[in-house]
Amino acid sequence: MAYASSVLVDKYLRTRKIPSTACSGCGLGMNHKIIVQAIAELGLKTQDIIWGTSIGCAGRQTFGTWKGDGFAGTHGRVYAIARGLRVALPPEKKLILTVGDGDAFGIGLLHLIHCARSNAAMTVVVNDNLGYQSTGGQFGFTTPQGAKTDSSPYGMFEHNLMSEGMDVLDILKAAGATFLARHVAMEGQAVVETLKKAIANPGFSLVHMPYPCPTNFGARHLGSRVQVNIYNWIKDHAAPMGQEKPDTIWRTGIYHDARGARPEFSEHVWEAVNRIRRTGRL
Amino acid sequence: MRRFLETGNFAITEGAILAGCRFFCGYPITPATELAEAMSLRLPQVGGVYLQAEDECAAMHLCIGASLGGMKSMTATSGPGFILYADPYGWALGCETPMVVLNSGRVGPVSGITGAPGQGEFYLTRYPTQGGNFETVVLAPNSAQESMKVVVDAFYLSERLRMPITVLADQLITDGMEDISVPETEQEMKEMGFRLWPRSYHRGPDFYPATDALDIPPVQMGHNTGALCSDWTPTEEGYDIEEVEAHHKHAYRLIYKVRNNRHLFSDMHEKRHMGDDPDLVVVSFGTPSRVVNTAVDRARAEGLKVGALRLINLWPFPDELFRRRTTYLVVELNWDGQLVREVQRAAAEGSKVHFLGVCGDLPTIPDLMETFTKLLKNQPLSRKGWELEAW
Repeated sequence: MAYASSVLVDKYLRTRKIPSTACSGCGLGMNHKIIVQAIAELGLKTQDIIWGTSIGCAGRQTFGTWKGDGFAGTHGRVYAIARGLRVALPPEKKLILTVGDGDAFGIGLLHLIHCARSNAAMTVVVNDNLGYQSTGGQFGFTTPQGAKTDSSPYGMFEHNLMSEGMDVLDILKAAGATFLARHVAMEGQAVVETLKKAIANPGFSLVHMPYPCPTNFGARHLGSRVQVNIYNWIKDHAAPMGQEKPDTIWRTGIYHDARGARPEFSEHVWEAVNRIRRTGRL
Repeated sequence: MRRFLETGNFAITEGAILAGCRFFCGYPITPATELAEAMSLRLPQVGGVYLQAEDECAAMHLCIGASLGGMKSMTATSGPGFILYADPYGWALGCETPMVVLNSGRVGPVSGITGAPGQGEFYLTRYPTQGGNFETVVLAPNSAQESMKVVVDAFYLSERLRMPITVLADQLITDGMEDISVPETEQEMKEMGFRLWPRSYHRGPDFYPATDALDIPPVQMGHNTGALCSDWTPTEEGYDIEEVEAHHKHAYRLIYKVRNNRHLFSDMHEKRHMGDDPDLVVVSFGTPSRVVNTAVDRARAEGLKVGALRLINLWPFPDELFRRRTTYLVVELNWDGQLVREVQRAAAEGSKVHFLGVCGDLPTIPDLMETFTKLLKNQPLSRKGWELEAW
């Protein structure tokens, strides 16, 4: 069932950071609400989840919003902290990381790949505002081809991690991730259902969720800070897998679902440690 | 008590385990590799976890994560890896996350010589990260046996001061084989001066109080205390805030929890032949101090009034040990002179401060004896052009 925002806030979020310091019209709140909605529908409580965040818009705006325990890493490192924390936490505690595209697919990609390799139980939600927006709007590694940003004034011409055959989700799949999906927030309940699967996965899940940035990306690429323009632009360029159009940038849906197919990292490690402790061998 | 002929890496591993370390994450690098190997063998036997990270930056971040989850953790590396700790070291200082970091020095800059001892990170261990507004605690053992005690001390201090502690060793200490005694009972540990401190966790809500107080439990995840920690300036509750006053309060704690509690480690030094106000005081730390001690013993036997001051606690720098006006000779394993700068700063007015730098190798006793004699006779230290004493 869909919960009203006020119900979700009362149950799961701190009011100290409401309203957030996000720009007017920022789409991050939609993603944030969808994640909390999925948590609510799974019947999880604040003590069940430890919330990690990255640097940049997505990290800073979501840090300290969860009523339970939370931590933030420096640029790209929250995945490595989370992997260490995973070893120390009981398996029933869930880790959710709300991070940005630059953090996950740029500076943190190495650490992210090792989280996927080890199938460390965590749900990474990459809130992609199509570049480095908190530093004023430079292109990132999922910025659409041709997009004009402050550091691509002629249009983004580098190969990005969304291109055919080099999609970052394919890289993470090959690295061993057990649940991968891509959605835009405008897809509503379908995104909630995907996130429920991601969070329930006893392994490494990543959901890539592009969201609208009217202030920097919209202003530079579309020449307008009118919120509805960037919302429509993202919506128009997203399509569920199988229903793509020639100008589709984001193919949405579940890319890879191998939940339970591989042992989870910390359980695997502790099983080995306990066996060595007991028997002296692996 | 069990006795072994083993390396410093073995001693450090046993010390860490005695101190309660149950998580080690590293990355292979000479000469700290054998420490990682020893940990990978021993930790599972005592129910601990050894992990190998994708790089040193990740290794220390994994230690942060494990410590946030309540496990006493440790990482170890050499200079080229220590530089990659800059990012997590700052995080651990700011969030006050206890852990132990060991740096086994080799010859730099950059990769330099992998298989030879160096002391090029005297200042880097003081300033392991950017931004300032913090103090660090650095301890330097000079033997395999002492490295065990120093690591136990480092864990003790990291819990009480709520911060990462660096152990600065060198290749000869970690890789060298020596006679090592490992205590087996609490009584034996007490007799050997081992100090232990258990891990606890902060119950909130004032996770980051502006105080120099000791023994504030660390912030931990998983107890549903509403704990918050981040790389940003924290409020007392841990919320990120962009206010100078909040940052000043935070910095006050990071600086003065160390400066005002120096009694915890200020006795960590060794004085040799220092009782009669020697005319020459030889200052060193780590492996070269072993040669210095022998040379000073010999100088005394020959009637030279020479003493030796060996630092174990390097940072915060023990200025109080240099209050006497005399001649100081600083012996260290680098050619640029690092420790000598601090001695120059701290030495009583009118003191003379000289420098003898060797790197990749140890100073020899004849070289030291010759230097002592010349300094005591006020003769210039004759060197070849490229060896000229800059100090």
